[in-house]
Amino acid sequence: MEILKTSSLSIGYDNKTVVSDINVTLNEGDIIALVGPNGAGKSTLFKTFSTHIKPVGGKIELFGKDLNSYSPKERAKLLGIVLTERPDDMFLKVFDVVAAGRYPYTGMFGKLNEKDENEIKVSLELVGVNNLINRVFNTLSDGEKQKVMIAKAIAQNTPVIMLDEPTAFLDYPSKIELFSLLKKLAKEQKKAILFSSHDLELLLRYTDNLWIIAKNQPFAAGQSSELLKNGTIQKYFGLKDADNEYLLKEIL
Amino acid sequence: MKNNRITIGILGIIILGIVLFALNLFVGSVMVPFDDILKVLLEDNADKTLSVIIFNYRLPQALTALLAGAALAVAGLLMQTLFRNPLADPSMLGISSGASLGVGIVILLTGAISGAAVSSFGWWSTIGVSLAAFIGAVLVLFVMLAFSSRMKNMTTLIIIGLMIAYLAGSITDILKFFSLKEDIHAFVIWGMGSFSGVGTSKMPVFAVSIIIGLIATLFLSKNLNILLLGEMYAENLGLNIRKNSVIIILVSGYLTAIVTAYCGPIAFVGLAMPHIARFLFKSSDHRLLIPATMLIGMDMALFCNLIARMPGFDGNLPINAVRLLSARRLSFQ
Repeated sequence: MEILKTSSLSIGYDNKTVVSDINVTLNEGDIIALVGPNGAGKSTLFKTFSTHIKPVGGKIELFGKDLNSYSPKERAKLLGIVLTERPDDMFLKVFDVVAAGRYPYTGMFGKLNEKDENEIKVSLELVGVNNLINRVFNTLSDGEKQKVMIAKAIAQNTPVIMLDEPTAFLDYPSKIELFSLLKKLAKEQKKAILFSSHDLELLLRYTDNLWIIAKNQPFAAGQSSELLKNGTIQKYFGLKDADNEYLLKEIL
Repeated sequence: MKNNRITIGILGIIILGIVLFALNLFVGSVMVPFDDILKVLLEDNADKTLSVIIFNYRLPQALTALLAGAALAVAGLLMQTLFRNPLADPSMLGISSGASLGVGIVILLTGAISGAAVSSFGWWSTIGVSLAAFIGAVLVLFVMLAFSSRMKNMTTLIIIGLMIAYLAGSITDILKFFSLKEDIHAFVIWGMGSFSGVGTSKMPVFAVSIIIGLIATLFLSKNLNILLLGEMYAENLGLNIRKNSVIIILVSGYLTAIVTAYCGPIAFVGLAMPHIARFLFKSSDHRLLIPATMLIGMDMALFCNLIARMPGFDGNLPINAVRLLSARRLSFQ
């Protein structure tokens, strides 16, 4: 099922276009990695999708309706985000962070009912950190914090989850673990997942679909193996022939 | 177990507040024996002088301290969460400085123009000072609201607030330079803050205005909690960032403006009390922090008022002078 679709989308700030002519779709169960060098527009695309900034041109449809026509409350139930930014309050507990995901569903004083409490527990279990529920968020390791933020997005119960650089600050095993967690969410929860990353080699190994943003190149989307085979990866990342050979040999 | 801790904590703060309130009635620059005070409170045919001291002076002063303490403390909490800055307090909005400028204009200019000190106008001068402080505070508040409704960046907003504060401060300084000695003295006294200015006549308006503001803060707890995650997350969770910051600044600024108008600039309660509440309850949930901060603010203001009126200080020590004592106490904890 088609969830998110862009047509001739141009993104940027105050009419200064960063990337233009983006035509992509995000389907139920999709897990897509957004790659590109720093400054190419990955964050700009995330900010546009999370409606923090408006598109410069073209349109974004979420469930067939213009993304910017949703009220903030409605949109909060459809699209959840995980950022590199972390809450740094001294006393904020893991439970409180995940409970924030229930904000769009609670009443005026944010009182959690049994269903909300249950969703919070289930989300923490799904990412495998239910043992941290009473810990102070600030005292967790980077990997644990990342998982808790993902649990927040799961508790938010949205069909789309977008993660900005979720593998940053993680060690190698944690990165692999994160990829399999995202795959599990896409497969079992039927969520559409978009995440950005620098780790090209890891992405080529562990994800099926890529969106590539690069300076002075048109936006590219496709299967990872295809993009590698037809030379798009080499061209977009300016890889030397030897490096490209290596990737072709190692990954395909 | 956790709920027990909260209940005991809240009860402790309330009991301390009751004790401090009672001490505020009993202790002062005129020492009154304990049983005489009970007589005044319970019997009709008590000593007239004592009854005036209690009902016309000490009771309204204690009530003023109670309300002002709660208002400033909770205003500080709102600022700290909105700006995600532990050093934020109500004075950051430039509101106290706006009030000072208003008062400065009234006290200092009338002296310069009419040649007579404002204090010589008697009753009119107190009304004039409150009104001038309120107008000054509200004008700055409107400027801040106008900026906050256009801006998403909280750091820029803090800088604008501080700039307004400096601007108002320097205009006040210029006014001082051209003013009469007596007027400057009156202005300095106002700037030191006092809970004695409200009195019985102005109490109903003061109390109702503050209570409305305090009730309004209770409705902000959900949005404040969500802000702890950071603005981007809060926005994604459906919070309208600009509308929310306008409302928080409005409520916080309103409380500060009213207290400053009646009691002078007493900002220090706003900085420390929210931290005491956080550390005491080890929580960042505003549904608990808002009432807890109010209660702790009440206790602190009553305590300061008590110290300022201790026998031996002969008359009233200005409230802001007590700040030093309490700050020392806090930093030792």
